[in-house]
Amino acid sequence: MSTKEERERIELLQGTLDLLILRTLLLGPAHGHAIAKAIEFKSDEVLQVEQGSLYPALHRLIKRSWISVEKGTSENNRRAKFYRLTREGRKQLKVETSKWDKLAGAIARILRPAE
Amino acid sequence: MGRSKRMLDELGADIRDHIERETQDNIERGMTPEEARYAAVRKFGNVARVKEDTRDVWRIAWIEDLWQDIRYGLRMLLNSPGFTAVAVLTLALGIGANTAIFSLIDAVMLRSLPVEKPSELVVLRWSAHKAPRINGYMSSGDCTSNLRFGAANPSGCSFSEPMFREVRNANQFAGVAAFANSGPLSLTGNGPASMINGQLVSGDFFHTLGLKAAAGRVLELSDDSPTAAPVAVLNYGYWQSSFGAGRDAVGRTIELNGADFTIVGVVEQRFTGVTPGSDYDVWLPLAAGPRIGNPRMWDNREDKVTWWWLTILGRLKTETPMLQAQAAISGMFRNEMLHGAIPLFEAGGGMPGPPEPRGGGGPASRQVFVGGPPPAGARVVPTPTGGGLQGSVVVGGPMPTPVGGQGPARIQAPSAPTTQGRAPSDTATEPRTLSKPDDEPTITLVNAQTGLTGSRGRFENPLYVLMFAVGIILLIACSNVAGLMLARAAARHKEMALRLALGAGRMRIVRQLLTESLLLAATGGILGIVFALWGSHAIVSFVSNNQPRPLTFATGLDLRVLGFTVAVSLFTGILFGIAPAFRSVRVDVTPALKDGFSASTKISRGRARRFSISNALVVTQVALAIVVLVGAGLLMRTLQNLRSIDVGFDSHNLVIFGINPSLAGYKDAQVDSFYRDLQGRLAETPGVKSASYSMVPLLSGSLMATVFHWPGTPQDRQSESDVQEIGPNFFGTMQIPFVAGRNFNAPDYEIAASAFASEANRSAPPTVPTPVIVDQAFVAKFLGKENPLGKRFGQSDASQEGPASPGYEIVGVVRDTKYNDLRREISPIMYKPQSGFIGAAFEVRTAGDPQALVPLIRRTVAQINPNLPLRDVTTESQQIDRLLFQERLVARLSGFFGLLALALACIGLYGLLAYEVTRRTREIGIRSALGAQRSDVLRLVVKQGLLLAVVGAVAGIGVALGVTHYLKAMLYDVSAYDPITIVVVSGLLVLVALAACLIPARRATNVDPMVALRYE
Repeated sequence: MSTKEERERIELLQGTLDLLILRTLLLGPAHGHAIAKAIEFKSDEVLQVEQGSLYPALHRLIKRSWISVEKGTSENNRRAKFYRLTREGRKQLKVETSKWDKLAGAIARILRPAE
Repeated sequence: MGRSKRMLDELGADIRDHIERETQDNIERGMTPEEARYAAVRKFGNVARVKEDTRDVWRIAWIEDLWQDIRYGLRMLLNSPGFTAVAVLTLALGIGANTAIFSLIDAVMLRSLPVEKPSELVVLRWSAHKAPRINGYMSSGDCTSNLRFGAANPSGCSFSEPMFREVRNANQFAGVAAFANSGPLSLTGNGPASMINGQLVSGDFFHTLGLKAAAGRVLELSDDSPTAAPVAVLNYGYWQSSFGAGRDAVGRTIELNGADFTIVGVVEQRFTGVTPGSDYDVWLPLAAGPRIGNPRMWDNREDKVTWWWLTILGRLKTETPMLQAQAAISGMFRNEMLHGAIPLFEAGGGMPGPPEPRGGGGPASRQVFVGGPPPAGARVVPTPTGGGLQGSVVVGGPMPTPVGGQGPARIQAPSAPTTQGRAPSDTATEPRTLSKPDDEPTITLVNAQTGLTGSRGRFENPLYVLMFAVGIILLIACSNVAGLMLARAAARHKEMALRLALGAGRMRIVRQLLTESLLLAATGGILGIVFALWGSHAIVSFVSNNQPRPLTFATGLDLRVLGFTVAVSLFTGILFGIAPAFRSVRVDVTPALKDGFSASTKISRGRARRFSISNALVVTQVALAIVVLVGAGLLMRTLQNLRSIDVGFDSHNLVIFGINPSLAGYKDAQVDSFYRDLQGRLAETPGVKSASYSMVPLLSGSLMATVFHWPGTPQDRQSESDVQEIGPNFFGTMQIPFVAGRNFNAPDYEIAASAFASEANRSAPPTVPTPVIVDQAFVAKFLGKENPLGKRFGQSDASQEGPASPGYEIVGVVRDTKYNDLRREISPIMYKPQSGFIGAAFEVRTAGDPQALVPLIRRTVAQINPNLPLRDVTTESQQIDRLLFQERLVARLSGFFGLLALALACIGLYGLLAYEVTRRTREIGIRSALGAQRSDVLRLVVKQGLLLAVVGAVAGIGVALGVTHYLKAMLYDVSAYDPITIVVVSGLLVLVALAACLIPARRATNVDPMVALRYE
């Protein structure tokens, strides 16, 4: 079942991206490009996400009803689509964040046992 | 899915937007437009792949997950073919049994009438506090009626023809149709003479029902007039079987009861009769009634308001609500009943003729002849010596059995002439009406679908019982498969733990497992449909073989049955799948993974819990099986009791057939001499011991009763007895022994003949009492210790009702016999010498196999007159079988279902024990190694199995005692709590359970300790 393992590794990465999107939207609705920019900016451009992969993630979050979509216009009066965190999404963000903290903590302890 | 489509549609624009913005940003950072665009595209990545991935987000969840589940499920099921086969077969049996019985219920009770827009059709139903004063009443068995003499609140659906015309003229309906059984029709002009079934219908019958012709045309209003050329419309099936579906059948002339009819058409195939289960060969206009009926029998009823014989259907107008139409029709009816006077000639001359003794033939042809008007009705001829039927009722044919299967309903005659002492002049002074105001005659409109019950009533109860039984079987099948799934879930314990550990969602796994159970159930359902088709076909042909005419309940798959099966399969799949599925995911991941290969030492806590579920499932199965078995046992004992009843005469080696020479033109005295002639010739036929005839064949479901005045009782009191008219040597042929007195002799028959003639010709009344022979029950009821011989009764003085009558004189007493039915208590019967133009049933006592003599008997009849068809040629044993067909059907089916339940429960028990033995191989090995004997090991396994069986049996008996009383109405001479049945059934179950235990137990004893211990 090698395909299965592969998929699960991808899922893990996607999960991370999902978490970042949710976190970004916590500040307020944003359109796709803005989300990508925000993630890059916040991580001091460490996380160089391939911007395209944002879209499957956005759709996945919409499907799970963690974010919603609304249409509007951006600053310079261009057509834009805003993504907004839903109540469920907010809840999920908490869950995912605490999971991430645990994971990160655990990995940290393994990597630097002395501390 | 709409949301996903919208989202995906906009995806391209979204991506273009995104890249546009990124390009803009890059330009602001100082790149050239070309560079900026290039960088933006590169940073975005492969657009096609992004689109593909995004699309997958939506797609995977639905189709692919499902497809994956199904593929995976199929693979798992194919990996364990043994499990799959057992589970599918079990489910197929459960679902198949349910589908089969449901398809019968569907065909008998739920299928809509074979007409256009059946929901618009209503049947008229009258009710009143007291029976109306009428001279004749005939119900063709299309709907239930409870017209009884003296009983309060009678109701029914038969009306007079004048009433029908009024309803039609009232213009409350979009269409009105009336119909009635035509009685038996002797057909000549198309091959050898044969008896067929016909229905008299009003000219607008087919148009009201919205039926078209398959060939030629249907009846028109213009056909239904006394002056119109007599025409007939054929049943499609009859056209095919008897006319070879030839187009040239239309236009041909056939002879029915000696009158010519031209076939004008064939009605469309779906229609065999409007009432469920009815099947008529031919339809004739109402106006043809006098042509095919015996004039005396017909009695000019077409113009009489006192002869009620037509069932009336109305098609509601779309603009007139049902209640409004009902109010109008009911008001009209009430007005007619209270204010329409009965014409004098009707009140006087009303003499409903004698019925066909063989009843109507078909299940929908129950005929009730009620002779004699209520007390005020004047009679010309006194009852006792009348043509056999005044003041009598014949309940013909195989009858709709009332709830509880009590056998044919007894309908009592309104009244016979009494010496009530009203002066004849009363008739002239007092205007007589059909009802009195406080009788409150009303009409209700009943939806035809529910109102036209037909023979449905006879099947309702057995079908519900059977549906209950198969419902239980489905439960057993479910818990059986649930047990199997649980055992398998234990085996897949590690797999589940692994999948959970790898991050699969619990719901995802539950869904996967439910998909597996639904796959099982769906496969079982498909196979079940095959079983059901086969099964319901077998049941219908069994039912049909036991009817005088084939029944036309078309069973088969319609959408309702398919829907039922799909629903049952889904329900089943979820029912047996859900518990194991949730059990499977309630896995503590770590210990399960850490555990060794066979998962034998750890998780003992989890297993204890699981086994309590498995044990409970097996106990449930056994208990449910006991419930079905006890029910089946009671029904089988009922059948056995009915079969071993002493009927009072020798029912073996007896051929019975009906014949009616008056249909072939024999008149008056010719009929009697025909009977004597035939009797003599039959008795001389080689292989025949003796022959006789009677008006009603015994144990055919038909019965006649009469009322009379018993001396010493109050003048206005009517006593009642069953009555039978018999030919010479009836008692000898039937082997009914005499208790006292003598048989009828030739002078007795002369008295009967002259009495009949005087009535028929309205000539001088007889002066000599009619000799009668009575049974012991009659003596016990009326005479007690008094010497019955020479006793006279039933005399009446001349009155408005008729001239003086000399009554009856008892000349002999015979042993008690059953009359119409096995279940009915033995009742007082008086036998009279038969005379007159009525039909008769011949009884032929044979030396050997009665069936073998039938061709010879036919030849003997043909020697006298080749144009005389025989009706219902059968043997008494077949007749009894036919009478008991419902009991036989139910006993056979419930017995089959009982065994099925037993088998399924024992398979469940076996499966559990077999699994146990496999699981405990190591334990058994250790025990053997430590010195346990084979018998110890055997006991270990058998003990568990028997314990489960006994606990289940006890629980099952408890449940059975709670529900068997619902069967009470169907039982005969056996208590609903019959201890013998319960003991036998429990014994049977424990024995079979023991056998089911022994197989795995023996396997356990063969465990080689070395192999078992090395295994891990």
